[in-house]
Amino acid sequence: MNKISYKEKIYKKGGGWVFNIYPYFFTLALSLLFMASNASAELELHISKTSSDEIPIYIANFAGGASGIIAADLKRSGRFKIVPHSQMKPRISPFGGSLNAGAYQKVTDYIVRGKQVGGGDLQIELVSTSDNAKTYFRITPNINRRRVAHKAADSIYEKVTRRKGAFDTRLAYVTVINKATKNPTFRLYIADSDGYNPQAILSSRKPIMSPAWSPDGSELAYVSFETNSSAVYVQNIFTGDKRKISAREGINGAPAWSPDGTQLALSLSVNGNPEIYTINVRTGHLQQITHSSAIDTEPVWQSRGAIIFTSNRGGSPQLYRISSRGGKAQRLTFNGKYNSAADIANNKMTFVTGRRGAFQIALKSIGSSGRDILSNGRQDESPSLSPNGAMVAYTTLRGGENTLAVISDNGKSRQFLKSPAGDVREPAWSPYLHQ
Amino acid sequence: MTTKTLLIIPMLISLLALGACSQTQKDKGAIGSNTGNGTSKNIGKGKGGGSGTSSGTIGRGGAPGVSSRDGRGGSRGGSRGGSAGGGRNGGNGGNSASNTGDITLAGLNDPNNLLSQRIIYFDYDKASIRPEYMVLINTHAKLLAKYPNLKMRLEGHADERGSREYNVALSESRAQSVKSIMGIEGVSGQIKTIGYGEELPVVTGHDQKSWQKNRRVEIKYDGH
Repeated sequence: MNKISYKEKIYKKGGGWVFNIYPYFFTLALSLLFMASNASAELELHISKTSSDEIPIYIANFAGGASGIIAADLKRSGRFKIVPHSQMKPRISPFGGSLNAGAYQKVTDYIVRGKQVGGGDLQIELVSTSDNAKTYFRITPNINRRRVAHKAADSIYEKVTRRKGAFDTRLAYVTVINKATKNPTFRLYIADSDGYNPQAILSSRKPIMSPAWSPDGSELAYVSFETNSSAVYVQNIFTGDKRKISAREGINGAPAWSPDGTQLALSLSVNGNPEIYTINVRTGHLQQITHSSAIDTEPVWQSRGAIIFTSNRGGSPQLYRISSRGGKAQRLTFNGKYNSAADIANNKMTFVTGRRGAFQIALKSIGSSGRDILSNGRQDESPSLSPNGAMVAYTTLRGGENTLAVISDNGKSRQFLKSPAGDVREPAWSPYLHQ
Repeated sequence: MTTKTLLIIPMLISLLALGACSQTQKDKGAIGSNTGNGTSKNIGKGKGGGSGTSSGTIGRGGAPGVSSRDGRGGSRGGSRGGSAGGGRNGGNGGNSASNTGDITLAGLNDPNNLLSQRIIYFDYDKASIRPEYMVLINTHAKLLAKYPNLKMRLEGHADERGSREYNVALSESRAQSVKSIMGIEGVSGQIKTIGYGEELPVVTGHDQKSWQKNRRVEIKYDGH
């Protein structure tokens, strides 16, 4: 396969692959049952192992566990097939040693070798087996050592797929323990994009909902019911400083940052009915965007000038688009009786769709009419796109509890992420990190 | 929300009609014309078990309907509804004659008093009030009217299906539906609503029975 045309290939196939993967769902379900018995195991599932769309890549073992992190990242993207060590004969020499890459062309398209060098830098060598072309990356040390490996995975991903990698990013999510008791505890967490290094940044006896990253990745907006009514806060994830943005009568919900970070779109019922508003996070200036007698909520910015939101104005929850200055809303979804909770990144939109009594994760390109169903659970919800649009984090029921999962946009890879104890909900994928 | 309004109007009529059966002569006169239409037929069905006295319908109009529609057993409200609609039906009917005149704070904690029922259940993705709850809602509204300093919180909830913020809005709408009916008694100023969405379920199951128990509005009184 020609690597350069890879991107093209994925999209040329259009919706076709959705049907192709259905035969594997049964196997998948069986694997789920089997694997659920070992709760501590990190689960990784491939919907299709035979697909030719995944690029074979071999990652040699190297220092500090970085190679394992890189392999897991690349695999999770659904674009790579990790070639096992056993298939690499003769054995590959370590970084710096001689390498006849062409000898492995039948087994793998790429070979990755790495080495910890002076000053703690990680040096990575990416070799194409078809033309022996070598690319070198040098990743500087980070206080979070796993981030060094994620950055390396991003570099490899970008070189091979010609699309920006999004492994060195974060997830925010909410957990609850003692659900459905009188003493639940809600926590807002931030973790690496692969679920590692979870850190609670907020804990409450009352619900915490709807975390949303600021475009610079330094702040989270969220909803808290701490005061026995809902309120929207913005909290700096580094300093912990938080400020109240809206605590009006009724609903204060569903915050979403404008692309320039100056405004939040949110759903307020201060005038008696849930409507979409924008609020300037610095001045507090409030503007009402929708005017309907229905439920309008879950806004997300498609661009500086357009907001997509959920409304039941047509009798059931569907997605609509409206100018961020208000006006007439245009209905976007017509397939099924429930389409809601959109998230947008890199010209793609993911949302929850109701199908045959189940709720699953759908994905479509902005402007296209078709949609692909990515997930196959009963209660899948809260989809959030990675900033490059290549992966979707969401929650799915597993063993009676909501669990964090990541699925690739081509549906080929699905992975359950580790998370602290409890019911996990509402993952929010961070933008690209700048620090 | 025209559909919602349309749903509420006939319910209001039913409510008034029921009130007319047991309350003052003035009410009776006012409702006379309404009872002639289809609405009164519905009320007749609601009585179901056939109570002897008109005052009995206040005590029982809510309870039997609750247990039959919800098919629930275990929840806090469930046990009350179940007992009211089940074996103790007769006894309850007898008691309710005094209960109707007994809209007092003490009634809130008397398991034989309708006021001890504090949960209203809803249909999936709906905020409209089932007719069988009109009496219950009206009785609580009357309590508020009687005690102008009494404050009430209507806490709306949704089941786990669908997206979370949509469920917040849906559950808030449910609380608002209850509030708007109580508003007839002129007590809106004493009521605060809140929508918790699917965040605070009473049961964790993932089936119809559990979902029904979680789709609810809880009536809460400050200090009671």
